[in-house]
Amino acid sequence: MEELPADEIKRLRRCNNDLVSVLALPAMWSGAEPSQIVHTFLDALLGMLGLDLVYVRLKDPIGDSPIETVRIAQSRKQMPQPQEVCDLFNRWFGDDPQKWPPLVRNPIGDGDISIVPARLGLHGEIGLLLAGSQRAEFPCQTERLLLSVAANQASIGLQEARLLSEQRRVAKELDQRVAQRTTELAQTNQELRREIADRRRAEEQLRRSEAFLTEGQKLSRIGNFSWLVPTDDIKWSEQLYRIFEFELGVPVTFELIGSRVHPEDLPLLYDMIGKAQRAVSSFEYEHRLLMPDHSVKYLHLIAHGSRDNQGRLEYIGAAQDVSQRRLSEEALAKARSELANVARVTSLGVLTASIAHEVNQPLSGIITNAGTCLRMLSADPPNVDGARETARRTIRDGNRASDVITRLRTLYSKKDLSPESMDLNEATREVTALSLSELQSKRVILRHELADDLPAVTGDRVQLQQVILNLLRNAADAMSAVDDRPRELLIRTECDEGDRVRLSVKDAGVGFAAQAADKLFEAFFTTKSDGMGIGLSISRFIIEAHHGRLWATANDGPGATFAFSIPCAARAWPTPKTRVNQADPLTGAA
Amino acid sequence: MKFHPEGSATERPLVSLVDDDESVRESLPDLLREFGFAARAFSSAEEFLVSDCIGQTGCLILDIAMPGMTGPELQQELKRRRQEIPIVFITAQRDETVRPRVLEQGAVECLFKPFSDTALLDALNTALRLN
Repeated sequence: MEELPADEIKRLRRCNNDLVSVLALPAMWSGAEPSQIVHTFLDALLGMLGLDLVYVRLKDPIGDSPIETVRIAQSRKQMPQPQEVCDLFNRWFGDDPQKWPPLVRNPIGDGDISIVPARLGLHGEIGLLLAGSQRAEFPCQTERLLLSVAANQASIGLQEARLLSEQRRVAKELDQRVAQRTTELAQTNQELRREIADRRRAEEQLRRSEAFLTEGQKLSRIGNFSWLVPTDDIKWSEQLYRIFEFELGVPVTFELIGSRVHPEDLPLLYDMIGKAQRAVSSFEYEHRLLMPDHSVKYLHLIAHGSRDNQGRLEYIGAAQDVSQRRLSEEALAKARSELANVARVTSLGVLTASIAHEVNQPLSGIITNAGTCLRMLSADPPNVDGARETARRTIRDGNRASDVITRLRTLYSKKDLSPESMDLNEATREVTALSLSELQSKRVILRHELADDLPAVTGDRVQLQQVILNLLRNAADAMSAVDDRPRELLIRTECDEGDRVRLSVKDAGVGFAAQAADKLFEAFFTTKSDGMGIGLSISRFIIEAHHGRLWATANDGPGATFAFSIPCAARAWPTPKTRVNQADPLTGAA
Repeated sequence: MKFHPEGSATERPLVSLVDDDESVRESLPDLLREFGFAARAFSSAEEFLVSDCIGQTGCLILDIAMPGMTGPELQQELKRRRQEIPIVFITAQRDETVRPRVLEQGAVECLFKPFSDTALLDALNTALRLN
């Protein structure tokens, strides 16, 4: 075996050492970033091979522009900017190292410089390494070997680093996605919690509202109901059960309701059912309940009709226990009526007394004169002259009494007639509206049958309304003792023969005896214990002043019908109007 | 005891009448004379008080309600003057509370107009018996 010269041995040993160092590089690069790898790789190469410059261009696996790095030996005085070197190399070299010239002009100094290119990666897919030295022998064989091995090692290291970096990037991205998803989930979770809390709050609020409603209903004694008319399906609120004092939840039927409704008010219940069958849009009643302990409750009921989705008529309504209000109202009404009664009795008393006084004075004269006359005639001899005088005075006093009655009548015609064209229906509605509560309190069921096409009449609105009011009150009074049948009152207007309008008031009251028919309208004729017997007389007076007629007929069934008929067209009304008598009708004194 | 009209004119007791109503003043004196009394009529309490009849009047027929002095007021005035004339009140107002009030004050009777002639005669006889 040929002995190697000492220099050769030394060179080989150094090469060997360098190879070991180069092979050790990947261990240092484990886990490092590509940029770190490039820096340590270039530093090692620069020192190991005594290079003047070393350049690496890494292809960015993601981005387009390559990453370039340059190292220049520290010993060099002229230090160009790495960018200038890069630009120079880029200008000189294409991608194909085979076409590169072995010698190029030194970019960092004078003269030429030997450049050794090496691919990073099998096909240069990682990048390019350029090692440059001004030494004339560069590169020697071992230097080529070292460069080649080093380039390989760097390729492996960079490849790993790239993979690692890619893994890290992927891991990071995954982490980010997971974090983002987690945040999203947390947000969703929070929203759900909020929604749940909102719902709980809403439920709590609803529960509270319901409690408020229940309490409110309890306090105001108002219950609600619905009534599906075709099926008679009736639903009650809790409070309504309480008002009727039925066990909560028992099925509500009209039999059940009827068992509580005051027997005298049952006609109102039937009336309500009748209204529902006629499908009225709404109804309102006030009626009594007779409780098992015989106490009485007053119920105020209002309902409105609507159609459900199947087009069936349903009434939704509310019923209030107005007993307390009613009782105080009744107490008030009683007090008021007592007061009114006192006032009426007082004025009635005053009127009666003055009528009595005015009539009794001439009556007294009549009786005294008649007595005197008799005594004079029965004397012996009879005092005929005296008797004649007393008889004359008797006649005079009789006329005086008659004058009193005439004056009394004129009291009620004191006002001038103020004829105007008027709607009798409207005038009637005004009167019935005013009388409604009075009629209801007397348990009277009022029905209207007002003709739609009623022509206007000419008359004194106030006086005609007085007549209507008087007929209504008479009818109500006639039914005050009626308990075995509904106290029905029908007020009707219609066209009458001969261009006249007729208004009739039909009651179901006690009626009148046939022999009383012609006395009804006489002054002071009355069947009422508390009546003066003037109302009908005055009413007839008013109607006759309107060129009309007022009469009464007995009904086929119970009760009577009072009616008047007045002409529509205006007749010759007395003009100028004259006041009949402004003087006190009773005394004749002004 | 019924008064007999056969007695002498001077024996005829005087019945005075106070009433604001003319027909009563016209008719009643005739009846009183038929009864056999002497009769004088006055249209007011004041007129009676200033007349010379007070001392001679055996019985006073007195209307309750009159303009000016009323019947009960005249009753009080006569009491005050110690003129104890029996009084028969007559009134056209049938006020049941008036009657006991005036009777309590010493009136013989209180008749409501129109009254019968016999009711009046009975009252007058009662009154004159008191004298």
